[in-house]
Amino acid sequence: MSKPMTILLLDDEPIVGKRLQPALAKEGYEVEVFQNSIEALTRIEEKEFDIVVTDIYMDEVDGIQILEKVHEKYPKTKVIVITGYAMMEMAREAMEKGAFDFIAKPFKPDDLRDAILKAVSSLRSESALQ
Amino acid sequence: MTEWIADRFQTLGEGNADGPDSTNGPNMKAFESTRKALLSRPKFSIRLQIYISFVFSFTVILGFAIAQLAAMQMMKKKVVILDAANNALYEIQHALSFQNDFFLYGAGLDEALASLRRARSLLQNAVDSSRDIGDILGDLLAREKGYESMLKNRDSLEKQPYSAEKEAAIEKLDAEIRTEGKGTAIFGRELILREKKALQRMIGLSQNIHAYSLFSLLLIILFFTFLLTRRILARINRFVKYTQRIALGNYTLIIPARSYRDEFSDLAVAINRMIMELKLRQDILVQSHKLKAIGALTAGVAHELNNPLNNIMLTAHMFKEDYPNLSDEERQEMMEDVIHESERAKKIVSNLLDFARESHTVMAPLDIGGVIRETLDLAANQINLKGAHIDLRIESHLPVVNGDKQQLIQVFLNVIFNALDVTPKGGRIVVDVGPTKTAKFLTVKVTDFGPGIPDHVIPSIFDPFFTTKSKQGGTGLGLSVSQGIVAKHGGEISAYSEPNAGTTFTVALPAASPHGV
Repeated sequence: MSKPMTILLLDDEPIVGKRLQPALAKEGYEVEVFQNSIEALTRIEEKEFDIVVTDIYMDEVDGIQILEKVHEKYPKTKVIVITGYAMMEMAREAMEKGAFDFIAKPFKPDDLRDAILKAVSSLRSESALQ
Repeated sequence: MTEWIADRFQTLGEGNADGPDSTNGPNMKAFESTRKALLSRPKFSIRLQIYISFVFSFTVILGFAIAQLAAMQMMKKKVVILDAANNALYEIQHALSFQNDFFLYGAGLDEALASLRRARSLLQNAVDSSRDIGDILGDLLAREKGYESMLKNRDSLEKQPYSAEKEAAIEKLDAEIRTEGKGTAIFGRELILREKKALQRMIGLSQNIHAYSLFSLLLIILFFTFLLTRRILARINRFVKYTQRIALGNYTLIIPARSYRDEFSDLAVAINRMIMELKLRQDILVQSHKLKAIGALTAGVAHELNNPLNNIMLTAHMFKEDYPNLSDEERQEMMEDVIHESERAKKIVSNLLDFARESHTVMAPLDIGGVIRETLDLAANQINLKGAHIDLRIESHLPVVNGDKQQLIQVFLNVIFNALDVTPKGGRIVVDVGPTKTAKFLTVKVTDFGPGIPDHVIPSIFDPFFTTKSKQGGTGLGLSVSQGIVAKHGGEISAYSEPNAGTTFTVALPAASPHGV
């Protein structure tokens, strides 16, 4: 079996990380959770994650900026953005800038799992081609 | 006349220094009351005053015209007298000439008598035409008749046979004839001179009457014009003041200022009706402006609400999914999270509902510091989305302000949203709440560090429909409505700006009591 997929999960709401970290871990993923976007950026500089899940609206550094940094440094990394129904134009902007997928709050844990599964499939397909 | 014009019965409302009406404003009962008060006074209309001035002017001018006609009539008689006297004198002069010829050459007496007959005829006609003329020309006629009689006697003596008595009589009569002829002519000339002087005096009098007439007419015109102008201008000036206070948001009804009514009273009733309509529309406008703010807030609130809802969703799902493997402690924690996030959602919604509910103006003592915090809570999501930082400074012991909390929140939201519009991501906005030095006003200053407002634009920013954001679909009503709300509270919004440095909006509200909080 290949090494576990690494996932960085960034949301300024503490409960999101608290609930989803165990949910993803039991699926076999290696998960790091952040609430502060600056700390998350620092970590991204240190390590290449397979998948980055980030909320869009955060103080100081927002999800779009995270997306741009990740793509600049790790083109293969899949970025999934979290947005609100009222802000669909931001989701569209994220997709235009290379986000792999987006999910809208409020979402069920399975919604995120499904999005991550699609990202994993995509990553494996790309690996197989190389 | 002055008594009617005087602005008596100046009412307390006129001199009221308390500023705008701090209640809900006028109502229909107050409107009907002022309408009755305005219309129940005795009427002394401007039209009536114009009629009176016209009648008075006409009467005075008529008097002068009658005097002028009388003078003309007298002059006419003088002219008749002079004409007759002049012509008669001419004939008498001829008679004298013929008389002298008769004395020198013995011929001409018949011609002299003919001239005198013509003179007598002229004078007799004039005397017969009018008693007045007769009074003046009667004496001349009498003398002429005497003179003529003498000449006739002389003629009859001439025809008598020669005798010593005849010669003596002729000699005596000739002497009398010479004296009387000359006397008659002199008398006539003096009469003519006298009547000429009288005529000239009459002409002078007539000229004076003209001058007096014109001068009196001028005085009358000036007097009535002055009275009417002063009356009308005084009313107009007062109505200008009324419109100015209405424009400042003071919807006090117009009440009687004098003891009588006129056309301006009808105008006052119409303006009071307009005030009622304006107040109604202002209330509607304030409410619609609030709805616009709610629209802006709702988008943010919907997003803001997503966070607690998402947290509840995730927690509930994981609770259900992992229930068999969870410890009691973990289960407890998850339920605590659900409760906490539900309460968070409730707070978000009730803050919005509290602001959104339609309400009549409710004036109450307010802690403006608390109102500002509540406003910032409402605007929190907009502030977060903008990535702006609010630097809130509230002095302690703020004076209490009497106000409508919902409306003031609406004003502060307006000012804060405007500041957010020009604040870049990560930018700062300073909200400064404190009393003025005199402690009579409490000020809320909102300072952004955006591009600033050009000097030529600042005077327009409170105008209805003014906006620099027309491309974004704004209505441009925000600051105008806010100014109306603040004016209604007896306060004022002002703006100070420096290009490329930023803008400060200051909302000043009168303090109800100092150091109340």
